[in-house]
Amino acid sequence: MPFNYLENLTHYIPELIICFTMIACILFESAYEKNDSDRGILYLIAILGLGSAGVFAYQKIFAENTFILGSALAIDSFSSTAKVLMIIGTIGALYLSKISKDIYQDLKGEFVIMSTGVLVGGCLLASANNMLILYIGIETLSILSYVMASFKKTDDRSSEAGLKYVLYGGVSAAVMLFGMSHIYGVLGTINFQEMATALSGIAQSYPNNQLTILIPSFILFIAGIGYKISSVPFHMWTPDVYEGSPMPVTTFFSIVPKIAGITILLRVSSLFFSESNLLSVSWFGIISSMSILTITVGNIAAIGQRSVKRMLAYSSISHAGMMMLGIVVLNTVGMRSILFYAVTYIFMTLVAFYILSIVNDEYDNDHFERFSGLIYKKPLMAILMAVTMFSLAGIPPLSGFVAKFHILNAVVKEGYYTLAILAGLNSVISLYYYLKIVRLMVFKPYEGSENLVGFGVLNQTIVTVLFIPIVMLGIFWAGTMAKLNLANILMN
Amino acid sequence: MQAHSNLLNWILWMPMIGAIVTLLIPSKMEKGIRWWSLVNTLTTFILTLVLYSKFDTTVPGMQEAFNVKIPWIAQFHINYSLGIDGISLPMILLTGLLFFLCIMSSWTITKQIKAYFSLFLFLQCSVFGVFLALDFFLFYVFWEVMLIPMFFLIGIWGGENKEYAAVKFFLYTFFGSILMLIGMVALYYASGQGADSFDILALSGGHFRNLNLELFGTNFAFNKLLFIFLFIGFAIKVPVFPFHTWLPHAHVQAPTAISVILAGVLLKMGTYGFLRIAYPIFPEASKYFSYSIAVLGIINVIYGAFCAMAQNDVKKLVAYSSVSHMGFVMLGLAAMTVQGMNGAVLQMFNHGTSTAMMFLLIGILYERSHHRWIVKPDGTKGFGGLYTQLPKFSIIFIIAMFASMGLPGLSGFISEALIFLGIYERFTSITALGLIGLLIGAAYLLWMYKRMFFGDVIDECKTYTDVNAREIAYMTPLCIAVIVFGIYPSPILNMMRASVGKLVSLLATF
Repeated sequence: MPFNYLENLTHYIPELIICFTMIACILFESAYEKNDSDRGILYLIAILGLGSAGVFAYQKIFAENTFILGSALAIDSFSSTAKVLMIIGTIGALYLSKISKDIYQDLKGEFVIMSTGVLVGGCLLASANNMLILYIGIETLSILSYVMASFKKTDDRSSEAGLKYVLYGGVSAAVMLFGMSHIYGVLGTINFQEMATALSGIAQSYPNNQLTILIPSFILFIAGIGYKISSVPFHMWTPDVYEGSPMPVTTFFSIVPKIAGITILLRVSSLFFSESNLLSVSWFGIISSMSILTITVGNIAAIGQRSVKRMLAYSSISHAGMMMLGIVVLNTVGMRSILFYAVTYIFMTLVAFYILSIVNDEYDNDHFERFSGLIYKKPLMAILMAVTMFSLAGIPPLSGFVAKFHILNAVVKEGYYTLAILAGLNSVISLYYYLKIVRLMVFKPYEGSENLVGFGVLNQTIVTVLFIPIVMLGIFWAGTMAKLNLANILMN
Repeated sequence: MQAHSNLLNWILWMPMIGAIVTLLIPSKMEKGIRWWSLVNTLTTFILTLVLYSKFDTTVPGMQEAFNVKIPWIAQFHINYSLGIDGISLPMILLTGLLFFLCIMSSWTITKQIKAYFSLFLFLQCSVFGVFLALDFFLFYVFWEVMLIPMFFLIGIWGGENKEYAAVKFFLYTFFGSILMLIGMVALYYASGQGADSFDILALSGGHFRNLNLELFGTNFAFNKLLFIFLFIGFAIKVPVFPFHTWLPHAHVQAPTAISVILAGVLLKMGTYGFLRIAYPIFPEASKYFSYSIAVLGIINVIYGAFCAMAQNDVKKLVAYSSVSHMGFVMLGLAAMTVQGMNGAVLQMFNHGTSTAMMFLLIGILYERSHHRWIVKPDGTKGFGGLYTQLPKFSIIFIIAMFASMGLPGLSGFISEALIFLGIYERFTSITALGLIGLLIGAAYLLWMYKRMFFGDVIDECKTYTDVNAREIAYMTPLCIAVIVFGIYPSPILNMMRASVGKLVSLLATF
């Protein structure tokens, strides 16, 4: 196939639009005075840019799947779906950053630019089809994230978060690179398809024992990705970083890098390990134990938290674990369940963080007690928050339940009952801490005289709009699932 | 009768319409909200009576004329499918009646009336959903949705320790239903993911016999393990010992109407789950475990009775008596004979009416005394000589108590007698133990009555007023029910006979 650069670019329109949006934002940002409070045009450009990128990415779901740029990137319906999800998440975080007081006025522009940049990394990662692009994607994703974590310059915890993120990120990237170089040494290629062929070749000509050498390499490799999706045992940074970062940044972190990490892990797993051999059995063992550990540790640690943000951070760890469980089954049913889980997870996270952020702005802290008696002050918001918590815990007929049902369905289909039961019982644990916040909002009397100015008509409307999918996808999910059923990973 | 009746749809969604309209009424119009809820539940109750009048008692199994089936999620072959048979009809009638009466008893609620009545109607919708659903997935959805209004109803309008009770109730039931969920998904794959893989009726009949299932590296027989999953899910609701510990807390803390619904209807959902799902789908495993179920049932009867005897809080006493009486239902289910099963379903209905009376009466008393101590924690008497102060109240209480005790001529007797007849054929020694349970039951109830109603009138009780017209209005239907069905139980027995017979003959083939 001749290398036709321009033709390749037509498949790459969403990413290009995002890049140009970022550049446009940089240009406009420099036109603002430092203390110019309103950065409306900047937000408008970013949201319009991302929105059109989202539309193009959405169209790509139905287009032909293809490799571009010398097989460096796979533009398939799976990666396009993931891109749409990440774009939705980013737009959600962008609006939150506009209304949040947690981001200083003069840094709002930076937030827009950097989150768009991280999104480029995420899109790159979702499409990555060789080890190099994978690494570049992870680094693009990470380097800007490090800066975003320390946005709150005057707050020690934010600086601590940034530093911790850099240190952990640097170490895990190095470990992953080491694993990747080892894998390259054995297989002699960085292209995913060629690697898969080489793997099955080794598996056939030297049954089993030759593959053992690759097991530690892949364990090193997964450390890097596991760090991005904050799966146990690479999760130690998450609560501190999430707590220290400003609220919109936390929202952003719990959506985009997680989905990007899950997509690449899914792609690698289904390309390399769909054949049954020693390596895929070990991979199954690693991923399944990691995911169960992630769910359990995330849930148990969330119980004791005093800060709602930290609680949500731990709960997002356990949700990432649930998504990883869909990888264990290594088939398209699992993949589509993960995508559905991601859809619902985005909306639940956004609603929870929007409400938390507005409460946090009012009181300047996010302890559980700040939610006491919310139902007497802002009944609509309290009800939406309560229903979102039920949905996160997986109570039908809400979308969180449907997402869990799909994952359990994929797991049970392959006969992994143990995993299904362990994951299922974990939602009982999670219900406990989600109920804690509902309990405070509804059962406790309202104290203090703050009137929560953040909940204006506009913001309440936006939260309500974000909330609608949480209920609708719980009852009428057939249409969405039919779209997600188009998602496929391009194998060769 | 027309070919496609929408009656079940109306029964199911009427309370939901009521709840939505309640939300639209301005919260200042307290009277309007109360009367609207009353009219709404009355309409629903009349609809259930219409259903009863159209019901053909000779047909075993589902009545085709009422079936509703609409595809919901095509990918998984999940349907919105409702149906009614002789086992669910008594429960529907009971639900319709009790919710209507409970609205009347909730007249005295003053805190956040709008929220209370809309949640209450929402609860009724989900309870109907459980009793009407013929699709396992739909059943599960309603089973779980019910927890949300219950959580708030206990948590907001409950007693001093309400939060703990609400959370405990929620977590316990959720734990059980997670196992049920996994069982449900496993069944979906075991039945071949076909067009009727979530259809309870199609799953019934004892397929899934020679399958195995691996759990924690051990092989289990598919039907036995799944039966245990479903058993735990339902047993928590019943509640069967050792899963009963949530019940006393929830009962004591819940407001009167919610206690009535909890004891009168929600506990029956557990035993209904056995009759509708666990038994028909896994008849072989049910037979295999029937002795264990009987043993758990007898523990419930005796342990519940002894616990009740030890209580100083009269509401807690009645709560434990529910544990004991639901044990009788479990015994009837374990018998798997015609009399035993009929007795069990009848006991579900009769316990619903008699225990509802008890809780309503305690609620009436509590509104006067603001405490429920038979013996106060400081050792003094909480009540004394109520009989001379509140004669009408005491007479209604006697009827409720004797019905609950199983005195001949009142409703409890017939069902308990049928259960003992049924179980005697299979587990003789357990029958003997069950009779001891009956005796203890009489003992704690009579002792309670003696301590509260006889003896010297204590000063506190002198100010109490007797039952008013509204209270008599909602106690009368229940009094009539326990007396009439004690003398002439055939209407209910006829209703269920064909359907129960079908289930028993299915079980008998294994």
